[in-house]
Amino acid sequence: MKTAIELQNITKRFGTVVANDNVNLNINFGEIVALLGENGSGKTTLMNILSGIYQPDGGAIFIRGEQAHIASPRDAQRLGIGMVHQHFKLVDVFTAYENIILGMPRVKGESPAECRARIENLREEYRLTLSLDKRVHDMSVSEKQTVEIIKLLYRGADVLVLDEPTAVLTPQEVGHLFAMLSRMKKSGRAVVIITHKLYEVLSISDRVAVLRRGQCVAEAVTAQTDSRELTNLMVGRPVELKIERPDTRKAPNVLALTGVSVKNSDGGNALKDVSFSLCGGEILGVAGVAGSGQKELCEVIAGLVPAETGAILYRGRNIIGNSPAEIIKKGISMSFIPEDRLGMGLVASMDLTHNMLLKSYRSGKLPLLAKAPAKALATELVDRLKISTPGVAAPVRQLSGGNVQKVLLGREISAQPQVLITAYPVRGLDIHSSFTIYALLNEQKKNGVAVLFVGEDLDVLLELSDRILVLCQGEVMGIVSAKDATKEQLGLLMTGGKEGA
Amino acid sequence: MKKLTKILSLLLIAAMLLAFAACANTDTNDTTDPTTTADSSSTNPSEISSETLKVPDDFKVGILHISSVAIQSGYTWAHHKGFLEMVSTLGVKESQIVVKDDVPDNDVTKTKQALQEMVDADCDLIFATSYNYMNTVKEFADEYPDVIFSHCSGYLSNDKNFNNYFGRIYEARYLSGIAAGLKMKEDGKKIAGYVAAMNNQNAEVTGGINAFALGIQSVLPDAEVKVKVTGSWYAPEQEGAAAQALIDAGAYVIAQHCDTENPQLKASDGKVFGVGYNTDMTTEATKNSHIIAPIWNWGVYYTEATKAVINGTWKSVNYYGGTKEGLIGLSPLNTAVAAKDTQTAIDAAKAKILDGSLIVFDKGLTKADGSIIDHALTDEEITGKIDYYIKGVSLL
Amino acid sequence: MKDLVHITKRPERSALSSLGLIAAALGLAIVAGGVFIALMRQNPLEVYAAIIKGAFVGSKRDPFSAIKSTVILFVPLLIVSLGLSLAFKMRFWNIGGEGQMMFGAIFATFFALNYSHLPHIVLVLLMFAASVVGGGLWGLIPALFRVKWSVNETLFTLMMNYVALYTIEFLQAGPWKRTPGFASIGSFDANVQLAKVGGVHVGWILALVLVVIVTVYMSRAKQGYEIAVVGESKATAHYAGMNVKKIVLRTMFISGAICGIAGMVQIAGSDNTLSTGLTGNAGFSGITVAWLAQLNPFAVAVISALFSILEKGSKTIPVDVMSKEAANVLQGILLFFFLGAEFFRRYSIKINLPQKQVRHIQKEEEHADG
Repeated sequence: MKTAIELQNITKRFGTVVANDNVNLNINFGEIVALLGENGSGKTTLMNILSGIYQPDGGAIFIRGEQAHIASPRDAQRLGIGMVHQHFKLVDVFTAYENIILGMPRVKGESPAECRARIENLREEYRLTLSLDKRVHDMSVSEKQTVEIIKLLYRGADVLVLDEPTAVLTPQEVGHLFAMLSRMKKSGRAVVIITHKLYEVLSISDRVAVLRRGQCVAEAVTAQTDSRELTNLMVGRPVELKIERPDTRKAPNVLALTGVSVKNSDGGNALKDVSFSLCGGEILGVAGVAGSGQKELCEVIAGLVPAETGAILYRGRNIIGNSPAEIIKKGISMSFIPEDRLGMGLVASMDLTHNMLLKSYRSGKLPLLAKAPAKALATELVDRLKISTPGVAAPVRQLSGGNVQKVLLGREISAQPQVLITAYPVRGLDIHSSFTIYALLNEQKKNGVAVLFVGEDLDVLLELSDRILVLCQGEVMGIVSAKDATKEQLGLLMTGGKEGA
Repeated sequence: MKKLTKILSLLLIAAMLLAFAACANTDTNDTTDPTTTADSSSTNPSEISSETLKVPDDFKVGILHISSVAIQSGYTWAHHKGFLEMVSTLGVKESQIVVKDDVPDNDVTKTKQALQEMVDADCDLIFATSYNYMNTVKEFADEYPDVIFSHCSGYLSNDKNFNNYFGRIYEARYLSGIAAGLKMKEDGKKIAGYVAAMNNQNAEVTGGINAFALGIQSVLPDAEVKVKVTGSWYAPEQEGAAAQALIDAGAYVIAQHCDTENPQLKASDGKVFGVGYNTDMTTEATKNSHIIAPIWNWGVYYTEATKAVINGTWKSVNYYGGTKEGLIGLSPLNTAVAAKDTQTAIDAAKAKILDGSLIVFDKGLTKADGSIIDHALTDEEITGKIDYYIKGVSLL
Repeated sequence: MKDLVHITKRPERSALSSLGLIAAALGLAIVAGGVFIALMRQNPLEVYAAIIKGAFVGSKRDPFSAIKSTVILFVPLLIVSLGLSLAFKMRFWNIGGEGQMMFGAIFATFFALNYSHLPHIVLVLLMFAASVVGGGLWGLIPALFRVKWSVNETLFTLMMNYVALYTIEFLQAGPWKRTPGFASIGSFDANVQLAKVGGVHVGWILALVLVVIVTVYMSRAKQGYEIAVVGESKATAHYAGMNVKKIVLRTMFISGAICGIAGMVQIAGSDNTLSTGLTGNAGFSGITVAWLAQLNPFAVAVISALFSILEKGSKTIPVDVMSKEAANVLQGILLFFFLGAEFFRRYSIKINLPQKQVRHIQKEEEHADG
């Protein structure tokens, strides 16, 4: 196998933070290398150096055996390196074809038809199902990703880097993507995928490099390792990988929705005739492709958006029409982690103490804030949840994603809710932080709290939840028992296939 | 290309910030460099010699104007010219004068700031030239008894450090009325127009209109004067519009009591004739229409008052000068447009005023409502009590 | 190929770094202003000395006269800036400080004209209350349109300034005309005048008290907390169960009311009448002050003081040193650099010099040769 890329002693610093510390890595043509590591371990930085976005502070890059200086993404492109970023860089109003040729001078003597035919050939070669004339804003996430990939191929990339490519895909789409990556490998290209999901590493990669705190701690042939070893390497110490599902006594019908519909801003149905019940001491998982109505489901229960029809019964009383403040008072708590993480649950510019006050600031008769208990709570949470922060006076904005989520969930739980709605609480978190969150949720469940858990990772949903509700385009496709369900079954429901039973 | 756009946008931001900063601070009531406007120093050499008077080094004199001294015509310019005449006549140094112009007299905040700045600059004497500064000047006079305040055209004063000064401009208006009347008589017209800053509540304006009408009627007894009020001393647009309305109503001579020469420009455009005010308004643009203008020679008062303050002889008495003192006069007659023998008629009337045989507001005047006044008006009545038009005068 | 000039939002600067930046801006401002003065063929030191002298050195008669005048400029500017800070904290673009000041003054004038026989303290309290209501209502109207019909408040508050201005002109010429032959309300009764403390009307004490009150309100009160949350994200406020509409209305009432107080203080403390120029542009300058101070009330006090010193000082530069037009330009230059400091506090500019790239290419050639 021919060596495509050789990184030698790459070091990159941002101020005082060392993002990459003397990293060595070889990538060969005709293989798939997984770059594994927790959030902030330096995976993306390393690949950004390879694709010319950052300049290393030290070390050397060899491409096909020759030392190269990659000063810009354009240099990288010339050297045959292409990267698909987490956030796609496509022009929304252009078609796939237009996006692919954007910024590329046409080859001399080539007619537009020939150029198009060349793209069609690429598409067929890798069996990519996509109409070149579809506009980006009409595409699904997976289709957009396909456009990005064809774009790189068209530009002659034979080293492809994909940053967390599966984060936004359904299980079926992940299957398609992996099949495509295998075909690329067979055609002799080198592929790197950045990920923190172990099963992906094990199912697709030939070799794996594990990064921890900027250092490459291990490089191994995938077949000769297993998930336990990889996790230990990634986290730096042994980790119990099993998510608990404690048995609890269920208190039926703490919260029940019957026939709830919510309109979205275009007048369409964001939620359509949603009915389910949630018990105390239960975790009800909610699965669905992104944008299937998860946000509206959370918001309608919290009283943030009005319901068109139906009833939301909390302990037998309809709470539709109650103000958010009244609903908070009743003990229904929502923590929604949107894509930008801070979104609506926390105030980015405020410190931990002030964020503790967000829902409880009204307490007390005085017109002044009671800061002392909030500060005590903040201090306690920092301690209990091991939130890494310069102090309770630091703005939340300065905290890393996992810590932000701990702050948010910690605050919600400290209010001792009866119903806890939590959406994407482990979004973007490393394994260790994720497990802290799962433990927190289980603790709530054991305390008899009714937990609604909106998740992305089907494995986690299957392990953590008691039951799983599947949403597709605002409709409940089915509620399955998590113990008996399979990923494939969920995937089918998520894309609209009705439950067999 | 991208670079260029960025640099341009940076420049644009810089320009906007600068403009914003400047806009937020465009206070204009400020000292102005008098050297740019001091062109009258050579004109009007007065008989008072500077050798007889030593101006102390720490003496300071200030003047407060309603509009900018950069506009060299009209009310403010008439005052400022007089002020500069005093400066050169007495040999007052540039560092000893404080000029605050462009201070709207309906803006008390700015008026106060300007007066305070003059007081704080250690002015010994402050002239305030616009009517509505009056109340504010009075407050300052009460607060600063060692500064002398002299206010033009008002009616308040005290017996220590605050007087008012004005003049018998109605005498000159009467004489200019003769010129207007003769022109109308020559061309067989009966109606004159008058652009007035204020309505009949203002005695100065109303008396001036009456005097002008009396002058016309002295040569053309059944003539009428139509009046159009703008409501402001300084309102360039309205002044022109008022003149146009009067012309449209058949006025053959347009006279005015307002600050700009716009009525005269309208008269010229409308192929009728005009009588200006404040300064000689016979210019290149109006040489075929403007006949004569009643004018102020403020330098007469400013020189006299400043000299008295320096000599320590200043008394708080109200100054009311007229033709006799030389404070009031007429611009040179534009013989190209005036009726024949106008100069002779004016000179004869002026001589009578000087020897006391002609009293403009004499007894037996008929008001517009037909009632007859049984006495000659006193100075107090002339300056503060005329709130009626005489026979032949009406609002348009 | 990289951009020559690259502007990026930078992480927050520490307090020390911000202070250093302001000091640098001050230094640069003085240098740039000096260059301008030199271009005017004047001695920069002399002109700067004249500005300082104008703001601080009094007359022979009263050694504190200049300081008093500076304080008189400072008081309304400070109060208005405090009022605007509240609205800005909520990210509500209140450009209507001028109008709110005027309406506070108009309401207060009603009592000054009609109830001047009341005991002084009662009258002043009445006028104070009236100014709160007047300014508050003037702030409330755009807020109402904002929450009811999502009308853009920037333009709305701006336009309301002109309505207020013309209302004063109407009152001067009509119902409240007190001077024959002239559109003027005339001086208030002596009973209306605010007492003087230390040679300046008591407004300055009120202004400093307001600094403390607004500080406490913004950082300790529940309502202040709500303002901060709404300003950061309306969705978050909604999520936290806050009644966003109510908070917007209430805050704009308070913001307008404080501006209204500034109007009352100006007419009763300094002008002694109601006239169109009462704001002295404080409603607009206050916007700059509030942002430069980053909405911190104590910083607002400091920046207002600096503004007033600059304003008073540059206005009193003697005729024979510099013309008023040049003084205005100088003032603009100095302000520009302060605003520039604010820009650099938030953004950093990276200039990519072309040489660097030349070097890279050379390196590549070396490799190719080797």
